[in-house]
Amino acid sequence: MLQIGFVFMQLSMLLALSPFIVGVIRKVNARLQCRRGASLLQPYADLAKLFGKQPVISSTASWIFTAAPYIVFASTVAAGLLMPVFISHTPLSFAGNIIALVYMLALGTFFLILAGLDAGSTFGGMGSSREAIVATLAEPAMILSILAIALTAGSTNLSTIVHQSALLEGMVLAPPAHLMALAAMFIVTLAETGRVPVDNPATHLELTMIHEAMLLEYSGRYLALMEWAAGIKLLVFLTLLVNVFAPWGIATEATPSALATGVAVYVVKVTGLAVIIGVIESMFAKLRLFRVPELLGSAFILALLALVFFYTLRG
Amino acid sequence: MPDGQTAVARVQEAFPQTVMQVGSMHGVPMLRLHKQDVPAVARYIHTDPQVLGSLSLLWAVDHRPREARYELCYLFTLAERKDWLLLSSDLAGGEREFASITPVVHAAKWYEREIRDLFGLIPVGHPDMRRLVRHEHWPKGSHPLKKDFVWDQVLERVQGEYAYRKMHGDGVFEIPVGPIHAGVIESGHFRLSVAGEPILQLEVRHFWKHRGVEKLFEQQRLTEAVPLAERVSGDTSVGHSVAYCQAVETLLGMTVPPRARYLRSLFLELERLHNHIGDVGAICNDTAYALAHAHCGRLKEQLMQLNDRLTGSRFLRGVNRVGGVVLDLSGPQLSQVDAELHAIEREFVEIETILFANASLTERLENTGVLSEHTAWDHAVMGVVGRASGVDRDLRRDRPFAAYHECQPKVAVYRYGDVRARMRVRLDEVHDSIRLIHTLRRQLPTGPVVALSVDPPTPGQWAISAVEGWRGEILYVVMAGEEGRIHRCKVRDPSFVHWPAIQWAAVGNIVPDFPLINKSFNLSYAGNDL
Repeated sequence: MLQIGFVFMQLSMLLALSPFIVGVIRKVNARLQCRRGASLLQPYADLAKLFGKQPVISSTASWIFTAAPYIVFASTVAAGLLMPVFISHTPLSFAGNIIALVYMLALGTFFLILAGLDAGSTFGGMGSSREAIVATLAEPAMILSILAIALTAGSTNLSTIVHQSALLEGMVLAPPAHLMALAAMFIVTLAETGRVPVDNPATHLELTMIHEAMLLEYSGRYLALMEWAAGIKLLVFLTLLVNVFAPWGIATEATPSALATGVAVYVVKVTGLAVIIGVIESMFAKLRLFRVPELLGSAFILALLALVFFYTLRG
Repeated sequence: MPDGQTAVARVQEAFPQTVMQVGSMHGVPMLRLHKQDVPAVARYIHTDPQVLGSLSLLWAVDHRPREARYELCYLFTLAERKDWLLLSSDLAGGEREFASITPVVHAAKWYEREIRDLFGLIPVGHPDMRRLVRHEHWPKGSHPLKKDFVWDQVLERVQGEYAYRKMHGDGVFEIPVGPIHAGVIESGHFRLSVAGEPILQLEVRHFWKHRGVEKLFEQQRLTEAVPLAERVSGDTSVGHSVAYCQAVETLLGMTVPPRARYLRSLFLELERLHNHIGDVGAICNDTAYALAHAHCGRLKEQLMQLNDRLTGSRFLRGVNRVGGVVLDLSGPQLSQVDAELHAIEREFVEIETILFANASLTERLENTGVLSEHTAWDHAVMGVVGRASGVDRDLRRDRPFAAYHECQPKVAVYRYGDVRARMRVRLDEVHDSIRLIHTLRRQLPTGPVVALSVDPPTPGQWAISAVEGWRGEILYVVMAGEEGRIHRCKVRDPSFVHWPAIQWAAVGNIVPDFPLINKSFNLSYAGNDL
């Protein structure tokens, strides 16, 4: 019973917190540009507005176009339920390990790419082809970097990984490997969630878009689901970053005080990370599209080095 | 290198039989030719290493009802001393065909298509006979600049299709962009042919909102058309109005008082400042470097509010009039300008330091959208775009007007022709504009700001005027009609020259870089589509 309660708690946290995180990044961007910026709650209002609007669907679109938002949303949420959020024992951890999580996200990306192509508009196809490049190159770097940490724990189950490193209370077994894997995962996060320097979520220039280009044909509740799913995906990546690489403070047992600390620490950590991403977005220009593979290649090399260091340092 | 007169002598020497008459109009040497001789002479002027004329303007005049003839005029700017040389030829007695010079002078290609559309005269031998201004929905025989075309008639709408240049091959796709865009952007259509991301070809198709500006000028009186000139291109109100006023003042034989000339230069530099600072920010924004965009936007806003306080218009409209300026600036206002510009320059230097230190930005701007010096010459490109591609031209130095012969503007020239060079020209010109404004203020003479009006000129007289606006050379040709009216007013914004050139700057780049290239040119749609 308690386990089911945790599942719902984790689910509602992901759903409720993700628009806030998007709002935080936008706010940081605005403040650094000397703007006041929209309220932190603006993304919630946007979603509510979109859910209330009538969707317009292109006459050339097939069932994929209308099914994709639900598939993307569901797969992203499911991925979020496979990882520990505020308690290290994920109730659904029996359902899949880190590999399952990565491919659950890939399923969403796959349908997003299909949806971009489906309406047959000019920019959707362009966005889809670009997204396919980014996703393909980001995936190996992501798996390798988490694998470097998994080796420390001796398991690919995220709950086990997080639980074991949380118990170490700040100790890191192989610091160089840890840092390099973290750097790789951070780059992957920027790429997978469509942030600067890989993509620009704020642009109106269709020719430069990646993620937004695939959403151009969407409106109403479909757009709301897509936007929300993008927010949840961002939160999933931030959660992976904070919980896999710095899980200290997460609840390791189901006592009320541990849970309260776990939730509080989690919110502070992901918000802090969102601020960092906001700052990074303000510091860099977007990469030329053909440089993105180089960036993701370097993420892959970092992750690979992390693995090598892990073996050599363990001696 | 020869001045205008020596060039005339050389042409006469090379073509002893063909030159019918040598004259000059308000100091511009002018050769009258038979229409069939124009291509040969134009080719000589364009290619002779001693002359090297660059086509600056090509326009037509319908002389009816006074005389039943069309006149074609070709204005060349000579290489070294930037003197002008004018060729003119007549189409009399119902002739509608003239020999195209586009095969020998590439820069003529849009002018000749424009003349075909607006006058119904046919450039025989032109390699591209598709319509330019007159979109396919215009009915047959509607040529608005012919004198028998009634300016306020409503045209019926007909069907027709424009033939875009097609590219074929495995994996070659077309990306149509516009004329309706996602941002606050005017109507323009870009047809990109791509193989994957690299751009194989770009075709620009504009002229979606023809307003009939040149026809509207013909409905106005010489002294009353300044508001129309201010609205040719909204961001260049001062540039266009000064150019128009100067042409009319030459026609009326007016001498603009020194204080008015200084104030015109000052307003021109204020216009250059806010546009250049805004452009620097906009270029950064297209690389997703929003920080610089926000700060440049703030400075631009400060400058426009300064404009508003000085003149009551953020875009400096209503400043000029024929004979001088409408507004005089008081001592306190001028000190305010000085103080504000000092503050803005301090902040701008800080932004500049950040821009130069940002490697990720530099990486995006370098080698993007290169317009080679050769292509720039072929298209007779000038202004900011030209100076970034090694074209050392600036009317403020070459043919000083307003008060520029008394304040020595520095001309920023870069050779790389990429987005970064176009941004650096702007950065340099921002500093120089601020310096010029300080200098102008220090030297500002006292006295009246407007000359008294003189008798209207004889009908058929005309004058050319050239102003270096913030984009580049703005040219006006104004011909007087009966009773102080305008018979013909040819308007040339630099955008008309630069739009064809951007097609070449985009080739070989990747699709997501095109908006950046376009922004670094920042051309006017309205100034192009009169």
